[in-house]
Amino acid sequence: MENLLEIKNLSLSFYENGAEQKVLKNISLDIGRQEIVGIVGESGSGKSMTALSMMRLLSPAAVITGGEILFEGRDLLKLSEKEMESVRGDDISMIFQEPMTSLNPVMKIGKQVEESLILHTHMKKDEIRRQVIEALTSVGLPEPEKLYGKYPYQLSGGMRQRVMIAMATICRPKLLIADEATTALDVTVQKQILRLIQKFHEETGTSVLMISHDLNVIKSVCSRVIVMYNGDIVEMGNTQEVLRHPKHDYTKTLVAAIPDNDVPSDRSSVVLEAKDLRLSFKEKDGVFSGKDQKAVLKGVSFCVYEGEILGVVGESGCGKSTLAKTIVGLNKHFTGSLQMTCSRPQMVFQDPFGSLNPARKIGWILQEPLKARGIRDKKERLRLVDEMLVKIGLDPSFKGRYAREFSGGQRQRISIGLALLMDTGFIVADEPVSALDVTVQSQILKLLLQLHKEKNLTMMFISHDLEVVRHVCDRVIVMYLGQIVEMADSDELYKNPQHPYTRLLFSAALDGHKIEDNDDSEDTEAQEVPQGAGCAFYPRCPYRKNSCRKKKPMLRLCGDNHETRCRAGALK
Amino acid sequence: MKEKQFRKKHNWQLIIGCGLTGFFVLFTIVGQFWTPYDVTAMDAAARSAPPSLAHIMGTDNFGRDVFSRVMNGCGNTFLVAFCTVGIGAVFGTAIGALTGFYGGWIDEIIMRINDAILSFPSILLALILISLLGPGKLNIIIALGIIFIPSFARIVRGEVLRCKSLEYVQSARVMGISNFRIIFAHILPNIWVSMLTAAMIGFNNAVLSEASMSYLSLGVQPPEASLGRMLSEAQSLIFNAPWYAIFPGIVIILIILGFSMISEGLRKLQWGEN
Repeated sequence: MENLLEIKNLSLSFYENGAEQKVLKNISLDIGRQEIVGIVGESGSGKSMTALSMMRLLSPAAVITGGEILFEGRDLLKLSEKEMESVRGDDISMIFQEPMTSLNPVMKIGKQVEESLILHTHMKKDEIRRQVIEALTSVGLPEPEKLYGKYPYQLSGGMRQRVMIAMATICRPKLLIADEATTALDVTVQKQILRLIQKFHEETGTSVLMISHDLNVIKSVCSRVIVMYNGDIVEMGNTQEVLRHPKHDYTKTLVAAIPDNDVPSDRSSVVLEAKDLRLSFKEKDGVFSGKDQKAVLKGVSFCVYEGEILGVVGESGCGKSTLAKTIVGLNKHFTGSLQMTCSRPQMVFQDPFGSLNPARKIGWILQEPLKARGIRDKKERLRLVDEMLVKIGLDPSFKGRYAREFSGGQRQRISIGLALLMDTGFIVADEPVSALDVTVQSQILKLLLQLHKEKNLTMMFISHDLEVVRHVCDRVIVMYLGQIVEMADSDELYKNPQHPYTRLLFSAALDGHKIEDNDDSEDTEAQEVPQGAGCAFYPRCPYRKNSCRKKKPMLRLCGDNHETRCRAGALK
Repeated sequence: MKEKQFRKKHNWQLIIGCGLTGFFVLFTIVGQFWTPYDVTAMDAAARSAPPSLAHIMGTDNFGRDVFSRVMNGCGNTFLVAFCTVGIGAVFGTAIGALTGFYGGWIDEIIMRINDAILSFPSILLALILISLLGPGKLNIIIALGIIFIPSFARIVRGEVLRCKSLEYVQSARVMGISNFRIIFAHILPNIWVSMLTAAMIGFNNAVLSEASMSYLSLGVQPPEASLGRMLSEAQSLIFNAPWYAIFPGIVIILIILGFSMISEGLRKLQWGEN
């Protein structure tokens, strides 16, 4: 049987100020009928450009310089704009990364989903409405009738992505392109969305092209994988085969494991002790509305031992970033006690593009912490800066450059150097590698671990990536809605998770195995608990009992250094 | 590729802008000490004479040499414009940066006063201030300077608010750097492009305001010359002696063009090609 889509010798270039920049270099690939194919590669490898050229949605600066894209034998590049419009949405449709921006904020959900039916079919109004409701139901959205009249801002990220899928699949396309469709979502939601795409594929036989930088996403759903690097296809084949025996150097680094933390920590002295930290933000709507308090930290107590790496995991909105900022002194209005033996804990931020002053040169930026430490002698300061640049794997001559001249990985190195120049023994790293490509990620982790080893650096490592935390951290705290729900040594926690939320989190993490259809984890997202309810996790808990509604569970020891608010095993 | 490198190497806007501005600064300085004719000398024989070799920009209705008056008058124009923009920029930046950074009720109050000032026509406010201070060059500078403060404060405050929550500012706070240093050493370098643009617009407005004030005989007093004053005097002679309006006008345009090109060139220098 012929392939659904074939790309032959496709080349694409960007022209800017008359200069040519090759983005795709003579690539050829095919997608069979009823197949899920993955494209993996880092940012700038050309994977999104490949998808956009299939849809003919390229920006005017991008010019296709050669090749053809055959869809069921027709060359899409030769179609008129009119013919292409009927292909888009009807035959090929696409789900984008950012569910916040790919839905029109001023249009009701129902209207947006309807649109492609109105364009591509001749159905009557009530027939369309029925179909839309059906589509919304099939993507697992509750109360589709109500949803019809809602606006995108009223939905969570995961729900928006479900709406996107409903939109993309309502016309039963033959090919569905998912461009980083789960990247912006929490792990628990990510798995639900992947399962949904897979279900749709199985029920309708639609081919899916999955584009992602995340190997685990590719591994869990794709039967075949294409590895792209620098505009070229460097490897292609059966997913298991390619990832188990990578041939190309790039694929090898991609598959390379996350570095391990091999320094044992002794828990003799405490660097930081937090007791009953509470913090609320004022929700201010206007001058005349009353002040609403939103509790973000609800009594967090823990300690950090000298020389250890403490991991903090949890979904977005669980308060882990707020906790980090409170510890380094960016949130002043907390209650509870925070005692530290070191003077100034430093912070490494997530966004390597926002954390360095764009108007100043690196040399100036790196001297700031030294000035803050009171080193007056400029020569001495420059010597220390040079030394640090070498230590973080950069060249001393980089001092004269601006931050914009560096890559994300290099910037993150500079941020780490900046924190170290304060001569602190304690660093709080808030998602330090999640904005980076996989290969760069492992380099930065190596740097952090090496510094940890050399300087006996204590670290709090905040991340949503459970695999990274497992490899890097000595101890792990699991947070849910502003509370610590479980806390244990990382080996113990990963082997023997107790709290139902921890179990949900771990089962949602993609470990590289195929997603099973009979997976019984529920489709839920963080919800605020109604007033007076006992357990914060009650609305989502698969093990809940009536008694959970009344009693507030406390952290209790359940093993060696292992504390949890609830034991799922005991509830079963 | 070659062309791109070439353009990067040569920041033409900056070069031309500096050239133009440099020329006019020199032209003005010379004009304060030497002019071809006496600035106030009248010549009944050459009233409203068109440009000629003797008077390259012609003469006005009193027979005064326009070229000499332009040379000398630039001084007054530069003085008034620089001082007013200077007063506006310094006080406006300080007020805007501090209120934007600290926020709270002081910010609320100062910004409401700001809004109140901005809602009046600036000429009317200047007139009120002048009627309190009395006419004259110095008083014009003070009055216009005060009027320019709110617009600067507003721009700087908005930019500081935007930068305040960015991670590099938070990172500086974590290092324990003082708020004062964060505002002036970390944030201000990021917003000076907006400030420069505001200063350029302010400069243009100052030249025009000075002209209107002088037109109402509240600013530069006759027989002293200023570009604005000459323009307003030329209004009634626009058909008899158009050169009297055209040449000072061209000089104003070139001065403003020079400054605009400098600010554009500097912006490119700081942020690269794009």
